[in-house]
Amino acid sequence: MTLKSALPGRLAGRLTSFLRGPFSNRNFDTGFAMFAILVVIPLLGVLLSSPDLLRVGNSSPALPPSPDHLLGTDVLGRDILAQLFVGTLNSLEIGLIAAAIGTAAGAIIGFVSAYYGGIVDDTLRVLTDVFLSIPSLMFLVLISALVRAVTVEAMAMIIAIFAWAWPARQIRAQALSLKEHEFVYMARLSGMGSFELIVRELMPHMLQWMIANFVNAFLSAILTETGLSILGLGPQTERTLGMMLWWALNSAAMYRGLWWWWAPPVFVLIFSFFSLYLMHAGLEEVINPKLRGR
Amino acid sequence: MAIPAKYLIERLAIFALTILVSVTVIFLVPRLTPGDPMSVVIARLSEMGGLRGAEPMVEEYKRMFGLDKGLLDQYVSYVREVMRGDLGYSIVHFPATVSDLILQAIPWTIGLLGTTTVLSWIIGTLLGALAGWSGESKLQSIFSSAALFLYIVPYYIFAVMLVFLFAYALRLLPASGGYTAGLVPAFTLDFAMDVVQHSILPASTIILSSLGWWFLSMRSMITTTKGEDFLLMAEAKGLPEGQILWRYAFRNAILPQVTGLAISLSRIVGGALITEVVFAYPGIGSLTTEAITTLDYPLIQGTVLIIVMAVATANFAIEMIYPLIDPRIRHGGE
Repeated sequence: MTLKSALPGRLAGRLTSFLRGPFSNRNFDTGFAMFAILVVIPLLGVLLSSPDLLRVGNSSPALPPSPDHLLGTDVLGRDILAQLFVGTLNSLEIGLIAAAIGTAAGAIIGFVSAYYGGIVDDTLRVLTDVFLSIPSLMFLVLISALVRAVTVEAMAMIIAIFAWAWPARQIRAQALSLKEHEFVYMARLSGMGSFELIVRELMPHMLQWMIANFVNAFLSAILTETGLSILGLGPQTERTLGMMLWWALNSAAMYRGLWWWWAPPVFVLIFSFFSLYLMHAGLEEVINPKLRGR
Repeated sequence: MAIPAKYLIERLAIFALTILVSVTVIFLVPRLTPGDPMSVVIARLSEMGGLRGAEPMVEEYKRMFGLDKGLLDQYVSYVREVMRGDLGYSIVHFPATVSDLILQAIPWTIGLLGTTTVLSWIIGTLLGALAGWSGESKLQSIFSSAALFLYIVPYYIFAVMLVFLFAYALRLLPASGGYTAGLVPAFTLDFAMDVVQHSILPASTIILSSLGWWFLSMRSMITTTKGEDFLLMAEAKGLPEGQILWRYAFRNAILPQVTGLAISLSRIVGGALITEVVFAYPGIGSLTTEAITTLDYPLIQGTVLIIVMAVATANFAIEMIYPLIDPRIRHGGE
């Protein structure tokens, strides 16, 4: 209520009704809380721990968990917990960038396609379908093997190449059904331009949809990054959860009994997939109440 | 049921474009990035001892693979050969042809993925039907949570966990390869047993990770079907419950599952890329990754092309057949 009185009426009304939806859903709340943990703890960890812990030979190699090193060290004497903090944040960054690019590009293509129709729609739809039917992992392997992304950002860009098609298809379908509503005709009759109409009339009705798509793209970006990293095709100079796993597997951590090396990234990955899945499921239930209780 | 012309043309266009775009990307990406296959060959030659006399040989190789020509010439002759079905020679495995290598790898992939896809579909669908039918119960919610877990956790995570459990902790099963190194592939019982033993871990990985989805989708289909009038009717007629479930509800709910199975089967040629690599399984996935890391242009082109073709053809076929299987879907319907 304090939020409402502090803001101009219309916007506040929209914002509160917009937020009330997702946060009244139990799945979304659980997922969101998990996600908050996933962001806050590594952030604090990175801020509070010494960067020296990441240096090769900082401690004795392959130490099991102890009070000094809560998750032990790897074969090069680097602290696992410190790596886990950095890796988690980097993986989340890849998800964020790839999902933001994918959803934004997908939204633009979807809206334009649905709004203009005709030849524009045909072209964009065929393009979207082509991208959806290409086995993307195959191409991502090809591209990342040859381009050799070195940084987290480059990795995110590569993943984003295929991240727009699904949101584009979803948003087009939604926009098509919205387009026929009377308020859109009203707006057009009152002389609103195409761009303004898309942004002011169509978009607000689809925000929750776009967020659901964003969360979904976020999840699949992390999934893809980890997959590529396990093949040794991840960002070469930086740590992500996938790269941690790759180093561990590559150094035969599993056969040497160094469970504290490979198990933490596996756990954090599962944790983040659950968090994002729950948020996505919650959002879908809010948008489409028929799904509730499934 | 007639297929509308516009829809057919559009689907054909998508099919053709998918292949054209893929062929072009597969051609361009390796050539526009630094590094070339000859450096890999040279490195191998020098490992084998001495680079003396290698210069003319490399030139000859380049000429043979057309690498001395311009990019456009290469592209034109590449597309022409692909149209004729000629995938050329592998550079790294010369004199083996790309087709030979693919034909060697494909049975492994299809054997592993075909079996596991069908198995997990059967198990998941049956369990899902039972769970949906029994409604809210303790056992059902345990099964559903387990299925959700299997669905959310990606397959490579299962691969890691299974290797740890069975290859390291219990030392029961081999962790990699398609058969014991040194054994010569032959149609003998010993060899077959060896292959089966090696496939248990990769197979379980794939089954576990796809089982959850089949279970969940079948369960929700059965749950939806349960409220239908024709089931009430069957019950009113006094039919035994087993009969109502399997003869009435199951048969109505299974359509989307069948479509799902068709889609999954269409994807098996691509292999379980990461699973194959993690387990060093000698299928298409491993072959492709190896081709990519050694920059073997013709082999990259060949493997990726085969996979794209399989997926695109299957997509096209499914789009066409879909409405025939399920009359509720119309061609080109939104």
